[in-house]
Amino acid sequence: MKTVVIQGLSQAYSNLVHMFAEFLPRLLVMLVIVAVGLVVAYALKTILRAVLHVTRLDRLSEEAGASRFLRMAALPSMTELLSRSLFWVTWSGFILIGISVLGVAGLQEQISRLFLLLPAIFVAILILFLGLVTANFLSRAALLAAVNAGYPSPKLLSWSIRFVIWALAISMALEQVGVARQTVIAAFSIVFGAFMFGLAIAFGLGGKDLARDFLERSLGEKKREKYEEPQPL
Amino acid sequence: MAEESFLADDFLRQLMSVGEVDLLVGIPSYNNASTIGQTLQTVEESLRQNFVRERVVILNMDGGSGDETRQLFERRSERREASHKGLTTLRTIHRISCEYDRSPSQGLALRDIVAAADLLRARACAVISPATTNLTPSWVANLLRPVYRESLDFVAPLYERSRFQGLLARDLLYPMSRAIFGNRIRELYSDEWGFSGRLASQCLEQDVWQEEAIRARPEAWMAIKAIGAGLKCGQYYLGPKTASAAASGPDIVEAIRQTVGNLFWCMETNQSTWNGRSNSQPVVTIGPDHELSSDGVPPSQEKTFDLFRSGVNELEPILASILAKDTHAQIKAIALTDRAKFHFAGELWVKTLYEFAASYHHAVLNRDHLVQALVPLYRGRLYSFLQEHANSSPDEMEGQSEMLCQEFERQKPYLLERWTAKRE
Repeated sequence: MKTVVIQGLSQAYSNLVHMFAEFLPRLLVMLVIVAVGLVVAYALKTILRAVLHVTRLDRLSEEAGASRFLRMAALPSMTELLSRSLFWVTWSGFILIGISVLGVAGLQEQISRLFLLLPAIFVAILILFLGLVTANFLSRAALLAAVNAGYPSPKLLSWSIRFVIWALAISMALEQVGVARQTVIAAFSIVFGAFMFGLAIAFGLGGKDLARDFLERSLGEKKREKYEEPQPL
Repeated sequence: MAEESFLADDFLRQLMSVGEVDLLVGIPSYNNASTIGQTLQTVEESLRQNFVRERVVILNMDGGSGDETRQLFERRSERREASHKGLTTLRTIHRISCEYDRSPSQGLALRDIVAAADLLRARACAVISPATTNLTPSWVANLLRPVYRESLDFVAPLYERSRFQGLLARDLLYPMSRAIFGNRIRELYSDEWGFSGRLASQCLEQDVWQEEAIRARPEAWMAIKAIGAGLKCGQYYLGPKTASAAASGPDIVEAIRQTVGNLFWCMETNQSTWNGRSNSQPVVTIGPDHELSSDGVPPSQEKTFDLFRSGVNELEPILASILAKDTHAQIKAIALTDRAKFHFAGELWVKTLYEFAASYHHAVLNRDHLVQALVPLYRGRLYSFLQEHANSSPDEMEGQSEMLCQEFERQKPYLLERWTAKRE
């Protein structure tokens, strides 16, 4: 009995030693990979930041109105945001490679999946960014045009345009990463449809006088009140 | 030669057949079938009466007219040639019509005119608008003669205006451009002007013709180029001007986008020309240097004030990103005052414009959007001006205008301070 216990303990000890002997070099390799990744990510971040400073991305982002949204969300400038994103994406990639070297069963498959998802995430972020910039530019253009032409409720028009583009960009981004595709499409259709329906009701009820006025003018039964400014030049 | 890349082969061939000329008159057109014939006739009369011995070419640069503008020009040219040949002029007057693009652009028309002037070695050139219905032979001669005989390089027109006409030019464009560029040219933005072959060659070398600011209004840029190069500029009093009903000019929003956008763009691209100048100098002026007639009644401007007030309210975040905090606060405060007591002071107006110019330089938002955001504020200033001067005499208005010019010059250091300041 005593011999069996000692044999069992010795077997367990030798297994443990064997496991550590196998695991420690892998851990060391992982740490080296993570450390190298940190250096590479930092170098890439510095290079990208310098390149973006030269290309004046911040000015472009300011012009397009994206910077204002970043400030509202307490985020750094566009250059800083992109270079930091590159740092974290690169370093995360190295960390994942390092973890895969450990050879922990079950983790391998998850890591491969994550790697497959990375390009889709990147494209989704790009779609969101472009959506943000486009929504901001077009909504501001609409606001200025409506204010200068003296249309009623210019902010409503501007926010409607912003909302529609955001909804479109968010649904496209979520579809890109494959998050509950069917749900996203259904949700988008419902939200967009409800929005349009709401607008139709609002214009129908609120704008019936306007529509009558428009029709009367179109049919020549009523003259529009003419507003003329003095010739500027 | 630079022009070889963009002049159409047929146009080039026609220019080559003309040879060298002394004078060139350019007529940019777009759907001007109703007036082009009269314009051509007036230009020809002017050349026959005033430049008998000179070699002359008249160019019609068309922007893809849908009516028969070009055909009418060509037909009338043939008829004129047959009826007048050898009667009053010692030289043939050449006439060429060319389509520079399928869509109208004053800038592209001017590019082809200066290229032709450079190629034909013209000494003096004039641009004449076919939309001007009261064009007289003396106008054409008065724009060409100072360049041809008195060695000026740029001649702007001076028009007689009624008290409430051209307020954008009188309240913004003239005083601001005078303070910035240091030359007292009153009509930087006009449809008629004269220039020398030397200035044409210098302008042709610039790679700016596709810029949005130049495509719509190239004339002020040309004057500023002349000022920057130290060339001689002047202005000639032409009298009252009337335009055809079809060409009543752009509305206020479009006029501000074109002219103020162009002025800011010229400031941005010619910084070295203006940032060392501290005051303005008069230019050679032939005839009275201003002429306001006492006719005209102030138009009803109830809606102008409403548009100002709603604009200040609706565009608050945009204006906050353009203006300094105290300037924005002052504008918001006057927008809340009673309509009858409303007053947009000259000092605040100048400060506002300089802050807009500096924000344009720093590109705090899309530059076209920035210029559009000025429209409600201009309306506020316009309303204040019309209220204040409803019963003023032309002399009183002229005195106020001069005071505004001096205010622009006095505050120029503030512009430089904002211009060179690092953005937060």
